[in-house]
Amino acid sequence: MQSKSVYKIPNGKLLKIFLEFDENKKLIKNINITGDFFAYPEEAIDILENELVNTSLIRNDIFDKINTVIIKNKIEFIGLNAEGLTEGILRCFS
Amino acid sequence: MKEKWRMLITEDNSAYTNMAIDRAVIVTSQEKKVPPTVRFFTWSPPAISIGYFQSLEEEVDLSVCNNLGIDYVRRITGGGAVFHDKELTYSIVIPETHSQIPKNIINSYGRICGAIIKGLNYLGIESQYAPINDIITNGKKISGSAQTRKEKTVLQHGTVLIDVDVDRMFSLLKVPNEKIKDKLIKDVKQRVTSINTILKKDIHFLKAAEAMKMGFEKEFNIELIEGNLTNEEIELTKEFETQLFSTKKWNHKR
Repeated sequence: MQSKSVYKIPNGKLLKIFLEFDENKKLIKNINITGDFFAYPEEAIDILENELVNTSLIRNDIFDKINTVIIKNKIEFIGLNAEGLTEGILRCFS
Repeated sequence: MKEKWRMLITEDNSAYTNMAIDRAVIVTSQEKKVPPTVRFFTWSPPAISIGYFQSLEEEVDLSVCNNLGIDYVRRITGGGAVFHDKELTYSIVIPETHSQIPKNIINSYGRICGAIIKGLNYLGIESQYAPINDIITNGKKISGSAQTRKEKTVLQHGTVLIDVDVDRMFSLLKVPNEKIKDKLIKDVKQRVTSINTILKKDIHFLKAAEAMKMGFEKEFNIELIEGNLTNEEIELTKEFETQLFSTKKWNHKR
């Protein structure tokens, strides 16, 4: 299944997520994180997209995975955060 | 003695060349072959640049751009889509370790925007920094910037609107909902202004550039010496232009 969400991060930028997911197993198959935010280093978003593959579509799992990648890669966001990203992903289903 | 930085003035380059020059100067700056560099430039043909993380087809109406001869390019910096037409665009490339550049990214935006604010002041326009990356005058946006840091080097580029045509801009950009397009255009018209609108006369690019030059000199207590791209930078620019910025692979990356 493919889905898309558009989510304005509170006090942040406009996040647009394109998601491909496995409906039966409830897993992320492919994710494209786009928008007018800033991320340092920029390559971090590619890493994040790769790391999110096969993550289950459960709020805590997604949030924890994102936070782990942020800490490990020392990612600095402007106009985006882990909560907003998690919300954006989950909105692909509502 | 004041530190001497290099100033480049490059007019009427394509979107690909403009983005390639900024990228080339990051390389030579990182190799300590050139001093901190401030560039003022224009675009020909007019062009849309999108932020590094934006989806090209989601943001830009490519068929309208193609019909009107408007270029489009993906930047190496984040942020939003910008229509570059009647404006002064600036860029600064400086080592991350330079004493004038705050380590903190947000603080460094503020510092560099300080140069633009002083430049606008030389034109007779009072303005303020609106974090993270905007400058406003009388509550309306007149300038927006975007920064990246790579190879231990800071690149910040941004636009200072000399004139603005919101209707034309919106004919090129996609809006999420066509039904609210008219309202959106009305809102943006109320939120954006330009040098010409404020001063009620036409200001030439070179005059705006001269004011911005003084703004950078004052903000950073330096002297800007007009120079040229080095031969190596010219070669690197050609490489980045043909192998990156003009490629479908790069521009359609997202």
